[in-house]
Amino acid sequence: MILIRAISLLMAMLLMLPFPACAKPGEGVPAVRVSAAPDSVYAGERVICMIRVRHPEGLLAALELPDSSALAPFVLVGRNRSSSKPSPGFAEDRFELELAVFGSGRQNLPEFAIMFRDSEGHRTGRTHHRPEASVYVKTLTPSGMNELRPFKPPIKPEFPFLLLMPFLLAAFVLAGAVLLALFLVKRKVRLFAETVDPAQVAHRKLRKLGSRLSGGLAPVECYDQLSGIMREYLERHYHIRALEAVTQEIERDLRKLGVSSFDAIMTLLKQSDLVKFADSRPSVDESLKSIRQAEDLIGSGRDGGG
Amino acid sequence: MQQAAGLEELGREIAVASVFLDRAEEQISRRIIGQKEVIRRVFIALLANGHILLEGVPGLAKTLIVRTFASAMNLQFQRIQFTPDMLPADLVGTMVYNPKDMEFHPRQGPLFANVILADEINRSPAKVQSALLEAMQEKQVTIGSSTFSLPDPFMVLATQNPIEHEGTYLLPEAQIDRFMMKVIVDYPAYEEELEIMQQAAASGTIPEVMAVVEAGDIVRARRLIDRIYVDPRVQRYIVDLVVATRNPDRYGLASLAAMIEYGASPRASIFLLLAAKAHAFLQHRAYITPEDVKAIAYETLRHRIIPGYEAEADNIKTDDFVREILQHVQVP
Repeated sequence: MILIRAISLLMAMLLMLPFPACAKPGEGVPAVRVSAAPDSVYAGERVICMIRVRHPEGLLAALELPDSSALAPFVLVGRNRSSSKPSPGFAEDRFELELAVFGSGRQNLPEFAIMFRDSEGHRTGRTHHRPEASVYVKTLTPSGMNELRPFKPPIKPEFPFLLLMPFLLAAFVLAGAVLLALFLVKRKVRLFAETVDPAQVAHRKLRKLGSRLSGGLAPVECYDQLSGIMREYLERHYHIRALEAVTQEIERDLRKLGVSSFDAIMTLLKQSDLVKFADSRPSVDESLKSIRQAEDLIGSGRDGGG
Repeated sequence: MQQAAGLEELGREIAVASVFLDRAEEQISRRIIGQKEVIRRVFIALLANGHILLEGVPGLAKTLIVRTFASAMNLQFQRIQFTPDMLPADLVGTMVYNPKDMEFHPRQGPLFANVILADEINRSPAKVQSALLEAMQEKQVTIGSSTFSLPDPFMVLATQNPIEHEGTYLLPEAQIDRFMMKVIVDYPAYEEELEIMQQAAASGTIPEVMAVVEAGDIVRARRLIDRIYVDPRVQRYIVDLVVATRNPDRYGLASLAAMIEYGASPRASIFLLLAAKAHAFLQHRAYITPEDVKAIAYETLRHRIIPGYEAEADNIKTDDFVREILQHVQVP
């Protein structure tokens, strides 16, 4: 029994070691540690004062504060208490005081007393403490101010938009450049398409058709394609609807335009119609002759039209 | 370059055989001012053995056109005013009791004529409409236990008033489909109306029209029309036009797909071909071109397309669909 008591006493002493010497730890003597955070505030702001009392198990510690006038320049806003058993045979009571601070300059924490009672409620001792810890009060308000400053909500770190600005600007500039390039390319393609002479295109196709005819293409097929080439040329050169129009509609449109080679164009289209719709079977020579006529027509139409 | 030898010969025959139509047209124009296209469509229907649904507001000389046409073509004409209390017997005829021989004898109705003007067909109940449309299809009617063939040629021109629907019985789509063409009779042009007014005020009587068609002219013309050459390209073009009314998106007309509830039936393809051949005959040609098809496409397709709710809400007419289709389906 004596041995157990000796061991617990030794352990208690070891635990007391890190405590500051606000009160010297010893057998049956509680150890008290006081701290305050933050140690520097503006007038009206609050500090948390933590009082830790370590004492042998079986005792109850109670905090006694002076009345409010004696607490000045501190104002007690709230208090909280908790207990724990950090080691066998010992208990620790923690008193958390929320204090608003006024005045200016360094302010020592208020004095307080700890009352101890045994498990039956009998008073066993009372210790008085004058904390060495202090709080520095910065004054940005009149020194007579004694109202509580409201709690400031924690300020979240702002997203660094300014840092992103160069990237955003670069992205906008790049997108603009791409759009401009696309616009210019499209315009260029359109201008190119407009400047391509439909007569040149038709001539090239007619030459190709002629060589295919010589290579064995059926004359019926030849007239089918010849009609298509002529219609495409007429549509692009005279800006009339020819590809989806029947010969009579083309005839009406060309007559309105007063095309000089009107008769020759219509003869050629009607010949093609005869082959396509009237079961006409032209010879290769006739087909070649029609291709040559088409070439001449397209050559003569360069001046007029569109 | 010449067309195929057979077609060249046929072309010459057609040129000779179609002269009677020019003569008839000239006679009709003595009495009817303007409405040339309507008259041409009536010729086409007669040659192609079809029937016409005429639609137009009152006072556009629909009855006069048909009566004059029948006179010039030397055809027997009957006008039947359809009313809500009509019975099929009023149309086809009925069995009449003869007290002399104490037997029932069939008495033929007004349907027994070459050209029938069924005025305001939508005023008669469905059973009378059905009797007429059945006669149009079968070219014969049954009275009692006897069946009688209708005269040849037999053509019905039914009229409808587009602005007055109260007390009418709308023709079902299936029955409208039996009409080869639906022709819209429009107001005359300003100058034409001036001439109509002057003519009516000057004489007060209608100019005489002579019958210029001989018996057999129409039959001969129909035989020649049967021989008119139709290239497979044109046949495909006709089918393309009709299929485009059913599946517009297949022809790059996706916007029409939601607008059309039902497209034209295969009967449309048949009538398009027959009417195009008759049109080519009127042009004195022995073959048909896409122009012939386009020329009668509106009249042949407009009543066979059933617009959807969206089209009706947007006041889009079937003629708009036909126009779009003609502009998008590639011509051979």
